[in-house]
Amino acid sequence: MRRLLAAPLTSALAKGVALSLFDAVALYFLVLLAWERSWLLVGLIAGGLLGLNVLAFSRRLYPFRYLAPGLFFLVLMVVLPLVYTVYISFTNYATGNLLTKDQALEVLTQRYYLPPEAPTFTFRAYGGEPGVYALYLFGPAGRYVLVLPDRLNPPEAHVLVDADQDGVPEAVDGRPVLPLAEVARRVAELQKLAVPFGEGVLRLTTLSTVRVYARQYAYDPVRDVLTDRQTGKEYRAKGGNFVAADGEKLDPGWVTFVGLANYLRFLRDPLYHKAFVRVFAWTVTWAVLTVVLSFALGLGLAILLNDKTLRFRKLYRSLLIVPYAIPAFISILIWRGFFNFEVGLFNRVLAQAFGVRVPWLTSPFWARFACIVTNVWLTYPYMMLVSLGALQSIPEEMYEAAKVDGATGWRRFVHITFPLLLISVAPLLIGSFAFTFNNFTLIWLLTRGEPVVEIGSRAGATDILLSYAYKLAFMGGRGSEYNMTAALAVVIFVLVALISGISFARTKALEEVSRGL
Amino acid sequence: MAFRRKPLRFWLGRFVRNFLAWVAIAFALFPAAFVLGTSFDPVQNLRTARIVPAQPTLENYLYLFRERQEIHFPRWLLNTVYVAGITAALGVFLCALGAYAFSRFRFRGRRAGLLTILLVQMFPQTVGMVAIYLILQTLGRQVPWLGLNTHPGLILVYLGGAIGFNTWFMKGYFDTIPRSLEESALVDGASPFQAFWRIVLPVARPILAVVFVIQFISVYSEYLLASLILKGMEKYTLAVGLQLFIGEAYNRRWGSFAAAAVLGAALILLIFYALQSQIISGLTGGAVKE
Repeated sequence: MRRLLAAPLTSALAKGVALSLFDAVALYFLVLLAWERSWLLVGLIAGGLLGLNVLAFSRRLYPFRYLAPGLFFLVLMVVLPLVYTVYISFTNYATGNLLTKDQALEVLTQRYYLPPEAPTFTFRAYGGEPGVYALYLFGPAGRYVLVLPDRLNPPEAHVLVDADQDGVPEAVDGRPVLPLAEVARRVAELQKLAVPFGEGVLRLTTLSTVRVYARQYAYDPVRDVLTDRQTGKEYRAKGGNFVAADGEKLDPGWVTFVGLANYLRFLRDPLYHKAFVRVFAWTVTWAVLTVVLSFALGLGLAILLNDKTLRFRKLYRSLLIVPYAIPAFISILIWRGFFNFEVGLFNRVLAQAFGVRVPWLTSPFWARFACIVTNVWLTYPYMMLVSLGALQSIPEEMYEAAKVDGATGWRRFVHITFPLLLISVAPLLIGSFAFTFNNFTLIWLLTRGEPVVEIGSRAGATDILLSYAYKLAFMGGRGSEYNMTAALAVVIFVLVALISGISFARTKALEEVSRGL
Repeated sequence: MAFRRKPLRFWLGRFVRNFLAWVAIAFALFPAAFVLGTSFDPVQNLRTARIVPAQPTLENYLYLFRERQEIHFPRWLLNTVYVAGITAALGVFLCALGAYAFSRFRFRGRRAGLLTILLVQMFPQTVGMVAIYLILQTLGRQVPWLGLNTHPGLILVYLGGAIGFNTWFMKGYFDTIPRSLEESALVDGASPFQAFWRIVLPVARPILAVVFVIQFISVYSEYLLASLILKGMEKYTLAVGLQLFIGEAYNRRWGSFAAAAVLGAALILLIFYALQSQIISGLTGGAVKE
C-alpha cells in the first residue's frame, strides 16, 4: 500500500520542486526585463508563466500541456511578429525615430555648445603608464584637480609638488607631469572628457586648455518646447520630433503613432508610389509567368512520363527531379554565374556561336528573363510530380468512353485530362503562386533586385515586394525605414490572405477541414 | 500499305518521346554537370573553366578544408547541419506532441485551435522579418546567447516557423493510427503521455522521419532569416557564407565555389534520393512547403 502511494507522491513532489525552480528563474528574467522597460516581453513572459503554472495543475487543461510547447514558439516567432509588424506599420519607427520621447530628450539635453564668454582653464596632465591620471586646471575661474574620468576636486584634496613655486605643480599624488607630446598621444582619451561644471560641462578645446561648454537646449515640460539657448529658437514637439516654426527638425526624434501615413506614402509620395507600382506589377507578372510556364513544362513532361510504353521511365523521372533535390541557394548562385556578362557560360557559348553577348543581369528585360528561366528550372520538377500524381488518379474509363466517341488525342487532353487535372492541381498552383510571390531567396541571390531603373529609388527592375521591403529596412541609403517595410509587409499579408481565400473558396478546403475535425 | 505505316509511326513516336525526354534531362542536368566537372578544374575563372578539365585535380576540394581568410567551409557546413538538425529534431518532437493532442483529446478550443494554426501558417514568416529582427534584438539584450548573431536565436525563429504546417501534417497521420493500440495500455494504467511516448511515437516513425527530413532540408536552404540574424564569418550557415564568398568573384573563385557547391549539395541529394518517395509524397501532399 505504501509503495503504491509513494510513486505518485514523489512524482508530485518532483513536479512541485521543478516548477518552483523554473518559476524562480523566470521571475529573475522578468525583473531584468522590467528594469529595461521591455514591457511587451514582460507581459508576454508573465502571461506565459502564469499559463504554465495553471497548466501544471489543472486537469481540465490537460491537453494543453501537449500543445503549449509548440504553441509557445508559434506565438513567439510567428504570431507576435505578425502583430508587431502591424503595430510598426502605424508608427514612424525608422532611423531617427527609434527612441522613446524620454530617451530622445535625454540625448538632446546632453548636447553642448561653446558660449563666447565661456570660462577657460589651462591644464597640465599627470600620469604615466597606463595613462593620464589627473589634470591640473588653472585660470581666472579658479584652480582644480580633475581626476579622470570625472572627479573634480579642490587642489587642497591632493598632494601637489610645486618645487619651483610657479603655481603649477610638477607632480600630483606622486604622478609626474606629462610632456606635451605625451598629451598629444593620449588625445583620444582626453577628448572623451565631459565633466559637469556648474550649468555646463568641461571639455577639451586644445592640447593645453579646457573650457566650460553650456547645454544647448532647455526643455520646458509644460509647453513641451525645447529652446536653443544659443539662437533662442524654439522647437515644438510635433509628430515624433521637435520642430521649429521654419520646419527645421531636431534629430533624434521618437516613436509615435502616425495612423495611415506610411500606407498613404505608397499611394502619394512619388518616390515610393512609382517604386511600389512597378514592384507590384513585376511581382505579379513574375509569379504568374513562373507558375504558368513551369506548370506547362511540368505537365508536358508528366504526360511524357505517364506513357506506359516509354522505357526507363523511373530513371527519367529521377533525373528530371534533380533541380528539385539540389538546395535552391546553390543552384541560384550557379545560375548567377552562368548569366554573368563577362565570364558567364551563356555569353561564352553565344559569343563563340554568334559573336554576341547578352547583358543578362544588367538590362531590366534580360534580368527579368533570367529570373523567370531560373525559377522555371527550379519549379518544373514540383509541377511534374504533382501532375504525375494527378494524371495517375484519372480513371481509365474516362478515356474508354472518349475513344468510343472517336475523340482524338488532343481533344481527349483538352476535354478530359486537363479539366480533371486542374481540379486536383489548382490549389497547389495557387500555393505555388503564393510561394513564388514571396520567393526572396531566388531574387536576392540571382539579381539582388537589380538592375537600377530609377535614380534615387531603392527598388530595382527585378525587386519583388518582399525584397523591396528588405531593402527599405536593411540596406543603408536613407537609413532603416522599418515603418515602410512593415506597411509593405502588411500589404503582402493582405494579398496572401486574399490568395489563400481564393484557394479555399475554390477547393472548399475549409469544408474538408471541418469534416477532418 | 497500312500494314507498314503503323510500325513506322510507332517507332517515330517512340523516338520523339525519348528524344524529348533527353532534351529535358539535359536541361535539368547541365548546371549540375557543369559544376561537378569544373570543380576538378584548378582554373578559378568561370570563363575558362572546362567541364572536362585538361588536368583534373582535387585542389579545389583540398582548398576548402585548409584554413583560409575568405572561406570557412567546414565551419559553415557544421553550422548549417547543427542548426538544421536541432531545429528538425525539436520541431518533430513539438509537432508530434501537438498533433497527438489534436488527434486524441477532445477539448474546448480544439476546433478553433486547428483553424487558427491553419490560418497563421498561411502567412510566410519571412514577411515579419523586421519584427523578428527587433524581437531577437530585445531578447539578446537580456539573454545574449538567444539574441542576434547566435545559432540558438536562429533555431528559435525557425522552430516558430516549423510548428504550424507540420502539426497539421502529423495530426492527419495520427488520425489514421487506430486508437485500439493505445487503449489497452491506458486500461493497464499507463498515462496518456506514456501511451504517446511508448506506443504512438514508435508506430508513427515513418512520418516523424519525413517531417524531420523535410524540416532539415528547408532549414538547410533558408537564406533570408539566416543572413539577417547571423553576422560574422564564424557564425554563417552555408547559404549565407557561400553567397558572400562568391559575390561577384566568378572570375577568380569559381573552382573553389564549384567544389563547395558539390559538397553542399551532396548531403541533401543523398537524403533526397534515399527517401525519394516519402519526401515527394510529403512535399506534394496538399501544401507547398519548399
